[in-house]
Amino acid sequence: MIAWQDLLVMVLKIALIFGGLINVGALMTLAERKFSAWMQYRIGPNRVGPWGLLQPLADGVKFIFKESLMPDGANKALFRFAPVIAALPAFMTIAVIPFSNDIVIAGKNYGKLAIADLDIGVLFLLAIGGLSVYGVILGGWASNSKFSLMGGLRASAQMISYELTLILTILAVIALSGTLNLAEISDGQATIGTWNIWSQPLGFMLFVIAMFAETNRHPFDFAECEAELVAGFHTEYSAMKFALFFLGEYSAMTVISCLATVLFLGGPSVPFWVDAPWYVGFGAFIAKTSMFLFLFIWVRWTLPRFRFDQLMGLGWKVMLPLALFNLFVTGVFVSLGWNLWAKLGSLI
Amino acid sequence: MANALFYLMALLSVASALGVVLAKNPIQCVLSLLGSFFCLATIYLLAGFQFIAAAQILVYGGAIMVLFLFVIMLLNLGDPGTADKTDARMFSRPNVAAVVVVAALLLGVAVYAVKLSPVVHAAQELPERGIDTVHGLAGEMFGRYLLPFEAVSLLLLATAIAVVVLAKRERSPKRGAKS
Amino acid sequence: MVIVKRKELSFAEQLYIPEILRGLSITFRKMFEPKVTRQYPEEALIKTDVTRGQPRLVVNEDNSIACVSCGLCEAACPAYAITIDGGETEREIEREPKRFDIDMLRCILCGFCEEACPKDAIYMSDELELADYSREALIYDMDKLKRPKKALQDRIDYVNRINDRWQTPSST
Repeated sequence: MIAWQDLLVMVLKIALIFGGLINVGALMTLAERKFSAWMQYRIGPNRVGPWGLLQPLADGVKFIFKESLMPDGANKALFRFAPVIAALPAFMTIAVIPFSNDIVIAGKNYGKLAIADLDIGVLFLLAIGGLSVYGVILGGWASNSKFSLMGGLRASAQMISYELTLILTILAVIALSGTLNLAEISDGQATIGTWNIWSQPLGFMLFVIAMFAETNRHPFDFAECEAELVAGFHTEYSAMKFALFFLGEYSAMTVISCLATVLFLGGPSVPFWVDAPWYVGFGAFIAKTSMFLFLFIWVRWTLPRFRFDQLMGLGWKVMLPLALFNLFVTGVFVSLGWNLWAKLGSLI
Repeated sequence: MANALFYLMALLSVASALGVVLAKNPIQCVLSLLGSFFCLATIYLLAGFQFIAAAQILVYGGAIMVLFLFVIMLLNLGDPGTADKTDARMFSRPNVAAVVVVAALLLGVAVYAVKLSPVVHAAQELPERGIDTVHGLAGEMFGRYLLPFEAVSLLLLATAIAVVVLAKRERSPKRGAKS
Repeated sequence: MVIVKRKELSFAEQLYIPEILRGLSITFRKMFEPKVTRQYPEEALIKTDVTRGQPRLVVNEDNSIACVSCGLCEAACPAYAITIDGGETEREIEREPKRFDIDMLRCILCGFCEEACPKDAIYMSDELELADYSREALIYDMDKLKRPKKALQDRIDYVNRINDRWQTPSST
């Protein structure tokens, strides 16, 4: 029997993480518009609430009251189901991210701020995260529209290609850490010198590029591709179904930013302050994740879109060999026991 | 609780496996297969094999089924009219009888094979670590079963190369002369 | 045939990453530069000499309307936005409009009425805002169109200056 205090702590953690994820997703829509405006000498939304902060709420209300259209000849069940599949994986995978070190309040240890502490955390995240492609491809197919189908097909080809690179770079990190447990991976990077970004610079770069492709963001947003495909796989979607696709996209961005933080930037570790209390560590985690989220927006409003054959060429001819090379070198170092960076890190 | 979940998942996986064969729409077949894989993954999870469950979803759910969908959409097989498999003739008495006999034979062979298999006997004398954790599984796979593992990888590699050779277009004589 | 010579890319450019970083640095710097957005309802639009807003009728200093309801603007109007009913008056000019409606939803702000008017009675004002809750309310009658001459003086001066440029022979 689980004590009710434990249950309460668990429920609180779940509410905090899940609510946080949805709110970050909503705020990201505002941030996207604000930053894009600033980069183009504009101001951005500023009418709803102070600095436009209530804009996501207004958008949500608008989405609920919009008419939900069903295209002619669409596969009705799949058309309704696709946005759910698109949004679900991101919500499921956030469960294994450890957001902080052990929470200690008044001398009592409440464990890490994470919903689940899985031994196969990374694998679970990759397995479930890989399913989000179904939302895109089924949504594109069920819409009974050429543009949607093209968007869905492109997205599936792209996501499979770049998932390989993503997994190979993560594999190198796993080989260094010797565990699949995300909490243990972040524990192994307690000081700034032991952050995996120092020992895996190439892996980090490949991971960031593959991360953009996995979440279908610029410059790899071939699932949408406004210039050629109207809006790609969600051309025919409206109202809350469309909003779910959007929420899924931003949630996936948030989750993969959290993953990058855990894998390469030491999770909740604070630079040059090893014994930082858990709330400072949590703040550090949020700061690092926000940095990645800002990078997503920043790159979107800077770079033009690739051509599709360039994208596939980059994925298979450049990224994949580099990732394999990185994994090989890491394997050699690990098997020979040359952990140079760990030694260097212990000096700092 | 776990038992009830096991039976539910077993039932669902059989039902979706039937769906693969009986569904009219190719896309629905693929989705049924996907559902079946998920049920299997859940059963692995119930048995404590986390790694295999995750690998099942990652490899089959995340990659292979996407390729299936991809091909079906590319060949435009989505139209149910072109692939009407539930023909009345299909359920004629001799057909059904043949299916039942073959299924029974297969089941018998499978049960016999499992009873005789050295792997199953070996599994009863597992290392103390077990194979339900990643470490244990890796220890077994790259220790005692290293040779079969490598043989399977070689087989896969050979298949991949064969596919590339078959899929490669033959060079036209003109170009061949130039290069 | 035009043969376009592509520039040979240096190694750094082929790597693509330095160029991406350069682009990113540019967009980052732009974030802190002054904005060009005008907060419209609070900040008025910038009006210049050539601003051609909605047509308005000139009211003379003695509070009489300058229009003689000749109907030339009605004829010149390409959008058929103007409707005039003329009538007699005791004043020296003998005629003045009894009804002068401009359907502002049809008006395309072309300024032909201003050019057509022989009595300098209709001018394009600098008023640009047009919003209401019904179509009927946007058919402006004489009361809504009348403006004292002083209010339109900038436009009148501008039009006279432009017209003068064409009438007097150029000095060159």
